[in-house]
Amino acid sequence: MFTRLRTKLTVLYAGLFGLALLLIASAVYLAIASNAERQVRGELQASGTVFDRVWALRSQQLRDNADLISKDFGFRAAVATRDAATVRSALDNLKGRVGLETAFLVDMDGNVTGLDAARLDAGVEALWSALDAQDGASGVLMIGGQPYQAISAPVMAPTLTGWVVFATRLDAAQMRSLEQLSAIPLTARVLIRKPDSHWTSGRDTARVDAFVAGRSNAPGELDLSSGAALALAKPLPSLGAASPAVLLLQYPLATAMAPYRPLLITIGVTGLLGILLLIAGSWVLARSLTRPISALDKAVRRLQRGEEADVAIETQDEIGRLAGSFNSMAAEIRERERHITHLALHDSETGLPNRVSLDRGLETLCQSSRRTVFVAALGLDRFQIVRGAIGYELAARLIAEVGGRMMRQHPDRPIGRLSSGILALAFEASSLEDARAFAAALLGDLEQPVTLDGSTVDVSLTIGLAPHADQGAPAIDRASIAVDQARAGHQKIGLFDAQAYGDPASNLSLTSEMMSGLKDGQLFLHHQPKFDLRSRRIGGVEVLARWKHPERGMIRPDLFIGMAEETGHIRPLTEWALTQAIADQARLREAGHALTVSVNLSGRLMSDPDLAQAAIDQIRAAQADICFEITETAVMDNPAVALGIIDAFAANGIGVSIDDYGSGVSSLAYLKQIKANELKIDKAFVSTMADSRRDALLVKSTIDLAHSLGLKVTAEGIETPEVLAMLTGMGCDLAQGYLIAKPMPLAELIGFLDSETAPVARPRRKRA
Amino acid sequence: MRPALAALIATLCLAAQAQAADLTVRLKNAAGQPIADAVVTVKPAAGLPSGPIRFDWPLRMSQQNIAFHPFVLIAPVGATVAFPNFDKVRHHVYSFSPAKKFELKLYGNDETRSVVFDKPGVVALGCNIHDQMLAFIRVVDTPYAAKTDASGLAVIRGLPSGAATATIWQPYLRAPKNEMSRPVSVTPAGASLNLTAEVRPPAPMKM
Repeated sequence: MFTRLRTKLTVLYAGLFGLALLLIASAVYLAIASNAERQVRGELQASGTVFDRVWALRSQQLRDNADLISKDFGFRAAVATRDAATVRSALDNLKGRVGLETAFLVDMDGNVTGLDAARLDAGVEALWSALDAQDGASGVLMIGGQPYQAISAPVMAPTLTGWVVFATRLDAAQMRSLEQLSAIPLTARVLIRKPDSHWTSGRDTARVDAFVAGRSNAPGELDLSSGAALALAKPLPSLGAASPAVLLLQYPLATAMAPYRPLLITIGVTGLLGILLLIAGSWVLARSLTRPISALDKAVRRLQRGEEADVAIETQDEIGRLAGSFNSMAAEIRERERHITHLALHDSETGLPNRVSLDRGLETLCQSSRRTVFVAALGLDRFQIVRGAIGYELAARLIAEVGGRMMRQHPDRPIGRLSSGILALAFEASSLEDARAFAAALLGDLEQPVTLDGSTVDVSLTIGLAPHADQGAPAIDRASIAVDQARAGHQKIGLFDAQAYGDPASNLSLTSEMMSGLKDGQLFLHHQPKFDLRSRRIGGVEVLARWKHPERGMIRPDLFIGMAEETGHIRPLTEWALTQAIADQARLREAGHALTVSVNLSGRLMSDPDLAQAAIDQIRAAQADICFEITETAVMDNPAVALGIIDAFAANGIGVSIDDYGSGVSSLAYLKQIKANELKIDKAFVSTMADSRRDALLVKSTIDLAHSLGLKVTAEGIETPEVLAMLTGMGCDLAQGYLIAKPMPLAELIGFLDSETAPVARPRRKRA
Repeated sequence: MRPALAALIATLCLAAQAQAADLTVRLKNAAGQPIADAVVTVKPAAGLPSGPIRFDWPLRMSQQNIAFHPFVLIAPVGATVAFPNFDKVRHHVYSFSPAKKFELKLYGNDETRSVVFDKPGVVALGCNIHDQMLAFIRVVDTPYAAKTDASGLAVIRGLPSGAATATIWQPYLRAPKNEMSRPVSVTPAGASLNLTAEVRPPAPMKM
């Protein structure tokens, strides 16, 4: 959520503190609230009790006064004698004396003296009954719609003659004085149930009704429109059945909480300040914690970019140690990097800069130079031979010495060792002539004998030059090739000859094209008939691979076959050729021509017994008559395997023909070991035998040699009837060449065989 | 000397009244408890005999132990009732009753005051010094009167035969003027009246 540690820590701390604060504040608030409520409840309860006492006290006071008059002999006499005027005056007198508001007499007959009976809200009868029902009845009496605290005292004269009722108003002033007795500023009200059975009027009627109805001696919560309050409803005794009265003591909760408001505000403000301080503190702490980490983070990125990445160690804690470790790690990485770079850019054998180093130097030079940049590749002549003679170590020292000499003379020019015997130097020159002159000077400087362990070794160099170009092969490669080209041309200094070099890259692509061509049918077989000189008819055909490239046209067989041999694709080509040859032979057989089909087997495949076995299986399966043409040199690379393969062919009735005999290194020893059926004399001898007596003799003796070894002889390259005649005379068995027939597609071959009066017969016949 | 005289007078009266009979009244409350101190007066329909009324109990309301004795006294109209004080304290006997208002202010031990009750009716007696002191004097204008005893029984002797009205009064009787009347028929064999009435508890004298 937070990408920065600092923010995370700050938020976490502030959050935790805030939460703790909230909990504390809540707890304090709850404690205060419950305490305040408890206090108010207690106070209400106490006020209720106080009120009871006050009520009783006032009742007692009234009663004392009432007793005073009710027992007065004169008063009793007045009452008993129904002397209303006297009674009234006596009551007035007492009212004045004790400061009483209302005092009146109710006699046994229900007559009221001292008060207008109509002012008694509940009526005289109710009052009379109440007075009669209980001795000394007292309670709230409604007079003229106002509540009064009233007491009664009987007038005994000497029997019960009536009651003196003393009443004092329960007015606001009374309530205030009651309120003042309380420790808390509560509100006291006397509620009287009205005729409509409500206790009050106004918005809170229903709530007050409910509260009074469910009153108990314990204070409860009363939800008023002016706010929640704690209240206590105390039932008051009523004088007369009607109009029960309650004393309602109430205290608003808000007022109860008011004294704590400053405390709560203080807590809130303190908490807020605390949070702010904590945020600031955590921010500072987090920063002090994360600053070294940020520094490390930045240092790691610098290290990543390969820049200087030392971190200042500021503390001795874990982070400080981490910074220390990081610094030493960075130093080690730099050291290793230096070492690796050195290894990457230097030749470990001689310590000279390597090709990569030269590449870099060349690039830098090309960017800064306005003149043409040349690469001079310096090939140590006969280096393999020298190395063979003096050993690898000294040869390396020889190269190192020559390279060192070059570096000393051209300290600012990029130098590199390209291969074991080739060094190179990049330089600028205004023209080709300048470059040649520079190379010549270089030769002069470097072709000084080198002394190794006291022995002097001559140094002979060939220089290949190549100008840098943005396109094509790298100048370094071209310069290396130019060394070979110069040597081939027996020159000391040679410029890269692009034409002579050709386009090796396109040849490589040709190989892959050939593989797809094999599948697409771009390659096909041509068949060159072999003419049997004894039976005077075509005795066999040699199949030759042909490739018609969809864009390049016909590709020279020596090009793509040689390339296939070099790139390792000769095996699929051979397999394809064999399969095709077997198929073609079958078609020839169908056409009525049973011919031995010869397939060229590359020397590269003579060390591959798997291929041989596969070929054998394939031939046997097809019951084909196949003869493999193998060059003698092919056997020499790995004689044991090659001879084994040939033996296997022989054992399975597959013919083997020694191809191109006489062109390479012919070994009689191998000739003896190869279980061949046929020997093919190279066309180099055949084509010239008409003109060269020596060649003719060689051919004659070869034919004889072959015959004596039990081999048939085929002569290739027969282009003239004279040669054919000579070969016939020499006892040659088979003839092959343009004179007999060119290589041709299968269809054409069938046509050719069908007109069996072969064209070869005609010249022979002509000649004969 | 005096009792002999009284006996003589009674004998004379009985002789004069031929075929006299007794009325027995039994007064109980609903719970069957006897009601004492009820005064039964009978007025024969034939009329009252002329001549002074004499009762065979002393017409005296004494004060002893801060109390009146008896609680209820039946006195004939015109009789003089004595108020002897046997207490060591003084008393201030008064009555505000319409039948007889009077006041005997503070008289001491062994002093006797007397009051003449010249109107029939009920006289409630109190003491202005001792509130708890209370007594009643029933002033009657008939010789046929008696007070129920602790067993609620009162016997009126020497009634002439014939119809009569019996009136029962008790200071706390729950009835108008604390009294109720019943017609009775007196035969030579006598008559009896069994009544049930309620009395309210005695008026509070405390405080």
